[in-house]
Amino acid sequence: MIKKLSVLFVLAAAVLAQAQAKKPAATQSTNETIVLRGGKLLTITHGVIENGVVVMQNGRITAVGAAGTAIPSGAKVIDVTGMTVYPGLIDSETHLGLTEVGADRMTNDELENSDEIMPHMHVYDAFHAETALIPVTRINGITNAIVAPGNGDTLPGQDSFIQLAGHSADEMLTVRDIAMPLNFTGRQRRNQNFDSAKFPFTRMGMAAQLRQAFLDAQDYDQKLAAYEKKKTSGDEKDKDKPATPPKRDLKLEALLPYLHREKPVVLAAEEPNDLLTALGLANEFHLKVILNHLAHSSSLLEKVAATGFPVIVGPIYEQPKESERYDAVFTLPAKMAKLGIKIAFASYDAHQARNLPYAAGYAVGFGLPPEEAMKALTINPAQMWGVDKDLGSLDVGKMGNVVVANGDPLDVKTDVKHVFIQGQEIPLVNKQTELRDQYWK
Amino acid sequence: MARRSCFYRVILLSLFCLLSSFVMTQQQANAQQPTSNSAGTAHNDVVIRGGTILTVTHGRIENGSIYIHNGKIVAVGQNVQAPAGATVIDAAGKWVMPGIIDSHSHIALDDDVNEPTNPITPHMMMKDAFDYDDKMIYRALAGGVTTSLLLHGSANMIGGQAVVIKHKYGLGRDELLFPGAPQSIKFASGENPKRVYGTRNQLPATRMGNFEVMRASFIEAREYMRQWDEYDAKVKKGDKDPTPPKKDLKLEALADILRGKLLVQIHCYRADEFLTEMAMAKEFGYKIRAFHHALEAYKVADKIAANGVAIATWPDWWGFKYEAWDGIPWNAVISLHKGARVALKSDSEDVTRRLNQEAGKIIHYGGISEEDALKMITLNPAWIIGVDDRVGSLDAGKDADITIWNSYPLSSAALVDKVLIDGDVFFDRSLAGLGLTHTKEGQ
Repeated sequence: MIKKLSVLFVLAAAVLAQAQAKKPAATQSTNETIVLRGGKLLTITHGVIENGVVVMQNGRITAVGAAGTAIPSGAKVIDVTGMTVYPGLIDSETHLGLTEVGADRMTNDELENSDEIMPHMHVYDAFHAETALIPVTRINGITNAIVAPGNGDTLPGQDSFIQLAGHSADEMLTVRDIAMPLNFTGRQRRNQNFDSAKFPFTRMGMAAQLRQAFLDAQDYDQKLAAYEKKKTSGDEKDKDKPATPPKRDLKLEALLPYLHREKPVVLAAEEPNDLLTALGLANEFHLKVILNHLAHSSSLLEKVAATGFPVIVGPIYEQPKESERYDAVFTLPAKMAKLGIKIAFASYDAHQARNLPYAAGYAVGFGLPPEEAMKALTINPAQMWGVDKDLGSLDVGKMGNVVVANGDPLDVKTDVKHVFIQGQEIPLVNKQTELRDQYWK
Repeated sequence: MARRSCFYRVILLSLFCLLSSFVMTQQQANAQQPTSNSAGTAHNDVVIRGGTILTVTHGRIENGSIYIHNGKIVAVGQNVQAPAGATVIDAAGKWVMPGIIDSHSHIALDDDVNEPTNPITPHMMMKDAFDYDDKMIYRALAGGVTTSLLLHGSANMIGGQAVVIKHKYGLGRDELLFPGAPQSIKFASGENPKRVYGTRNQLPATRMGNFEVMRASFIEAREYMRQWDEYDAKVKKGDKDPTPPKKDLKLEALADILRGKLLVQIHCYRADEFLTEMAMAKEFGYKIRAFHHALEAYKVADKIAANGVAIATWPDWWGFKYEAWDGIPWNAVISLHKGARVALKSDSEDVTRRLNQEAGKIIHYGGISEEDALKMITLNPAWIIGVDDRVGSLDAGKDADITIWNSYPLSSAALVDKVLIDGDVFFDRSLAGLGLTHTKEGQ
């Protein structure tokens, strides 16, 4: 056992040493004004500007326009003629910073496995800012992402929204506890062995357990409210009996912002029956909802459209059902967009988060209009996550999270040439480029 | 009886070797038996007209045509003659390229990929588990794949013998087997065998153990071969009553490796392990056909190339385990520049449906030519499988395994419109339902 542990330790130490060789994603705090001149601007919110100009100052976009837009004196002008310029892409579900080597448990902090109901887990407590995976991801043009816990619990904890650069975890975690995943895909059961079955063993058990958690939170909420009321009422009769608060319960406390509709739950379902059950629960507790996955729920899309809930769609690489045509899942984003559902894409990954734009590109092949695909990587997720004041388009006042590439952002052949985060140019280097440069001689 | 069958086999094999050396060099390997009616259906003349043809071996042909007769490509070019009665497939405005070849796939095997009960199981025959009815064959076909090498998993140092299929989904089992394809055998190394046996407190639990079980089994196989040589010599000498050694399936399969009759396909990640594997091959006198996964190939690609070994890799997978930690998306291009033959493979039910995109990524990361990128999903995997004289490019004389795309194939958004295998259409996106042209009726 000691031997095993020491092996793990050495392994983990080696990985950490390598990872720490990469400092976090430094954005230099300079006040350099940067101008991107001559590129094709995909503004997202107000069309395409050929041969355009983008100006970034003090971390923000200060001008977006056609050729002739005033260029501040002393600015660093980068000629991007022939290139495509677009807002940094947003990945609506990753595990960045929670994993390093997939198969090495000591480098993984994705899921608290002991119970299905763990809403009091916060990914920011585990987020590893120095991970080697973030520099690998951002050089493909992904500048912001949701970091979510693993999907093995019904309520695995709370997501954070990150920026893929910064001097420290504090700088990179731009919104903590931004949302809470609620997974109802039938795969959240701890134990699926009939002979040693423990509650919850069925979908009925999963639903009952989840309902009870929200009921307990409501009860806790009422006790808290009663205490507050008593504390402030100043009733003469109760003068000698000071108000006592309910015992603090982190698990129930974590559910309150969601019961109060202050933040969205990210409701994951794949099969139609699961989706209906989960929607029923969300309705029962008046939750604010972002839907997730829906790979096999194409029969319910009109119902989904009627809810008005936005959807993180995918992974579109999920296999279709036995009876379905090969493209049944590939075509989902196009079908949703056609019904007016607001969609966003996610990589649902960490090591391969860099491939996010290609999923959107593939969906374009299956009928999603290219401009809708770009929106689903930028302004749609920015709105869904409530960060559209800062992100999601090339508009004056937004953060200077801007990408320059030599072609269609969604195409596999396209090479990203510049990445800016908060107006600072990010060097296109990472662990992998260093190995490339070492051996490509 | 044993003597006779062995003798018979020797005759057959030498006949086969004679024939195949006449036809192609690499077919010293055992081969999948051709079926009686390998085509499955009668062929008419077919001509594909008007597309941009990516030949793979001789560049692009704009507004080109391909004439197909009896399932074989007869002519490719701008001025191709075809009989008046030929079926015309209009490819105007479309892109035409050879069928994609996946040199590392585990589809159509249900749960029978590994026999994880012994680290050396060279006698496990994939054909015995091949589920020709698996929908994945059709889904890969819809992504343009026409030939796949279905390999064992990586639980064992030597996992077993593979099958090569053509994706003629809808036909019977034997009609999906690639006629005459050489027999491949899957080796593994590194973390997987270590994990499978080590966690049971069995040998091997280390890389030392991994290679030791291989070495020991080859030494045993040599002794087995010696016993048979001795017996054969006695027979040849006219010994009246020689006792044949006991036939042993496992040792027979190991002997076939040492006799050079199997294409050795090795799952291997780390630079040091490529070197150890090549030293082992030298020690026992067999050849390695390809290193699969091969994430650190770029570190020793010159040595891999010098040994005539190909690599079958992913463009960008990395970090999922420690031996994959140094994977980089430039692996393919660096290895190519250092002289290695590079294929991109899926090893995935998902990725096998979009290997065209994987080749596009190499252009992104490596800036290589279209032809080199295309070769990585056609001719090079065909070589790894040992069928490059039959498929992998659009050249006269080759099997008419052809894909027609709605836009430039090495793109995120390109879709397959039609797939022909041996001149027959097996997938047509414009058809309702599954898009299939062959059904299982009457089987």
